[in-house]
Amino acid sequence: MSNILRLVLVLLFDSYQPFFIAVRCLYILGAWLLLTKSGLAGWWSLIPWVREYQLGRCAAREPEGRGFCIASMLITLLQVANICFEWMQASHTLQSFAPLILVILFAVMLMHFVYNIRVFAGFIEVYGVSRWWIVFGIFDELRFVPMLIWGLGKKYQPGWKVEDLKAEMKRLATHGSAAVLDEGLTVNLKDRHVKEFFRKKYLLKDIHMAIPQGHMVLLLGGSGAGKTTFLNAVNGYEKADAKVTLNGNDMYSDYKKMKYDVGFVPQQENMRNKDTVERTLLDAAKLRLSKDISKEDRLKRVQDVMDIFGLTPVKGHLVEKLSGGQKKRLSISMEFLSNPSLFILDEPDSGLDGVMARELFEQLRGIADTGKIVIVITHTPDRVIDLFDDVIVLAKDSSRTGRLAFYGSIEDARKFFGRQKMEEIVKSVNQKEEGGDGLADEFVLKYAEVQHG
Amino acid sequence: MAEKNGTGSARQLTVRHRGRLAQIGIYFGKFIRMFVYQSDWKVLPMAALIAGLVGFALGSGFGKTMEGTLTGAFAIVCVCIWNGSFNSIQVVCRERNVIKREHRSGMHISSYILAHMMYQLLLCILQTIVTLIVLYLVGMRFSGKGMFTPWMIVDAGITMLLVTYASDMLSLWISTLVHTTTTAMTIMPFVLIFQLIFSGGLFSLPKVVDPIIMLTISSPGLKAMASQTKINDLPYSAVNGMIKMVDSVEIGGRVTVGQVLDIMQDTENQTVVELRAVPIGNKETLRQLCEHLLEKDHYQDLRSETLTGDVTVEDAIRALMDLEEMDEILDTEIGGITTLGEAVDALAASDSIQDLRDEGIVVHMTVGDAIDMIGREETMARISETASEAMYKPDYAYTSENILGNWLHILIFVIVFALASIITLEFIDKDKR
Repeated sequence: MSNILRLVLVLLFDSYQPFFIAVRCLYILGAWLLLTKSGLAGWWSLIPWVREYQLGRCAAREPEGRGFCIASMLITLLQVANICFEWMQASHTLQSFAPLILVILFAVMLMHFVYNIRVFAGFIEVYGVSRWWIVFGIFDELRFVPMLIWGLGKKYQPGWKVEDLKAEMKRLATHGSAAVLDEGLTVNLKDRHVKEFFRKKYLLKDIHMAIPQGHMVLLLGGSGAGKTTFLNAVNGYEKADAKVTLNGNDMYSDYKKMKYDVGFVPQQENMRNKDTVERTLLDAAKLRLSKDISKEDRLKRVQDVMDIFGLTPVKGHLVEKLSGGQKKRLSISMEFLSNPSLFILDEPDSGLDGVMARELFEQLRGIADTGKIVIVITHTPDRVIDLFDDVIVLAKDSSRTGRLAFYGSIEDARKFFGRQKMEEIVKSVNQKEEGGDGLADEFVLKYAEVQHG
Repeated sequence: MAEKNGTGSARQLTVRHRGRLAQIGIYFGKFIRMFVYQSDWKVLPMAALIAGLVGFALGSGFGKTMEGTLTGAFAIVCVCIWNGSFNSIQVVCRERNVIKREHRSGMHISSYILAHMMYQLLLCILQTIVTLIVLYLVGMRFSGKGMFTPWMIVDAGITMLLVTYASDMLSLWISTLVHTTTTAMTIMPFVLIFQLIFSGGLFSLPKVVDPIIMLTISSPGLKAMASQTKINDLPYSAVNGMIKMVDSVEIGGRVTVGQVLDIMQDTENQTVVELRAVPIGNKETLRQLCEHLLEKDHYQDLRSETLTGDVTVEDAIRALMDLEEMDEILDTEIGGITTLGEAVDALAASDSIQDLRDEGIVVHMTVGDAIDMIGREETMARISETASEAMYKPDYAYTSENILGNWLHILIFVIVFALASIITLEFIDKDKR
């Protein structure tokens, strides 16, 4: 057999021996049937490596599918390298690498085995069959047996289809835009996606709103609804396919300058624990304030902020010695130094007791009253709901994309969802497997109708 | 509560914030505070401890023998790589979230890394000084004049600083690549082992890995350190130890008449000098002299004197008398000779003996005897010298081009790793959420 033919056969079938080629053909046929059953095009099974990724998707094991794909690719490449060495009658020096290649091959085969088993376990769950089927997954040459049985047998139907996502996306597609406010925040987000392997993954879609100045806004949503992604897209840190304006200025095109007008307080404090409170604020002031401000003014500003947030008594303390509430206030005050127009806080009350949380939100209310926009994510909104003007509800729809289920006043939200408590609203839009009511799609469509007719 | 302030986005668009240079100052100050508060100073006693241990193990041979110096240089390079690596392996990944936050607040990544470079340089300088002091105290001396400064310790210190700093920068880069301190500490041993194996000094590696050796900090570091200690000029004393091991091994062999005569004429050998001074009385022929020496009791000590190996003076005389070819010579008249030395010189000078010089006398001796025969000190010195010449490596040549070339090589690593750190950290916003 010529070396070129061997190379082609290895690339296509991972082997050039007739028995293994025959087994591989059956495996490809099984893959074709499974892909088709899961709503994907069968011809993906003809493309080496991509086939393994797509199988992972069908088994609802996409991350494992990626590993499976990479491991398969590495095994093929190592086999190709081996053939090339033989073909070129590699020198003694190159042959001395053979033990090293063997070690790598062993490691890759182990990786391939593990990912293969994980994907196979995914198929068992998706098809709802006995766990004993996993035995076939252990042996590479036997995998085609269950694949053909599940693919051909009418009683075997997958509990989840890959292609459903696209159809769902089309079904839930909404359109519209918010009028740009001269004084306030306007968000017209078409989508925010990431590219994963061979496809786009949509994190957010169709979110339009206009928030006037001086409003304190609650951002609600279940786990994975895209709250943090939305906030990052709003402040321009992670750009989306969107037009975001703050007081008439484009957040994206002027990001380098505009970022100083946005204060983002992350969920974790993210401060250096071994620095003092005062030095932390002084350094933050140097970064955030204009370089034209005199040293005296800068020191005064730091002192003022410490007074506002009650940090003056602990200004010489190391950050690590502060209480949870003091750390939160320090974290907020770092952002407050530059007096931003838009203030975003990601769960500022996490780890605080009710009294401390209330005090903190009252301080935020005070900031909003000075004409700033304050957007807050919190998982315990009801104890402080009276302090908020508006609520944004993000929901993860059936295509697992974050969408806008509501934006408006607190009272309107109660009427729209038919629920009094904010936590009940979150529960209503959460997916059923997350313990929610699974009404996300319904509310997304309803809100789109209300908003745009 | 918060004061009313009419600030807005329009104002922000015209505000000028601190640039890269000013931010370097901010972060440098911050890192200096961390040195105190975050106990970064602990790296200094750690460096002293490591240097002390290594110096204690290697001190005596350093700077005296080729192999001792090479091992010592390798150990010093290892210490430097170790120190440098652990300075910065966690510094970025442990505060990754803080960096992200500050980056979105206007921090420039290049300023952050450059501030780290300045701070780490300071740390490396201190570590190098501590290491040099400790090495000096435990007996590893860098004495003499350096290639570039009047003190070799300064030249060696520059090499140590560069190796430490380059390793520091490599670790800084790794720290920007990984997201957690656990991952960083998992990768670290592999990096260290890679540096040590591919240093190209202690392990004999196939030629094919030469490009890989070029990519290690340890290789130019070891070359520079070995060059500075003038390693090529030092004796290769390991061969002496090997010879001592085989000193008592018996070797069969033949000693020629010529060799016996030469030994007896070696006036630098004290034993021979004493033998040559022995009075022999006035004899007419050589045969009479030999018989006289073999018969008289008062020559017993002389007869039992060892010439070489097991060969005594008596053995040599009898062997010479047994040779048929010697008959004519032995009957030669030697009137007027009073010492053994004069007799030997007369014999060696006679025309008749010249043809017999290659005639052999079978003797049994040990390696040590053979060396003693030639002269132990001189032989060992010669062997050591020859081995040293055979071990000569152009890479370790004590030339300014060589040392500067290696320094430059390490400096390139510093720049490359620093740039790589900046580029890698610029992607911090792309972290998977």
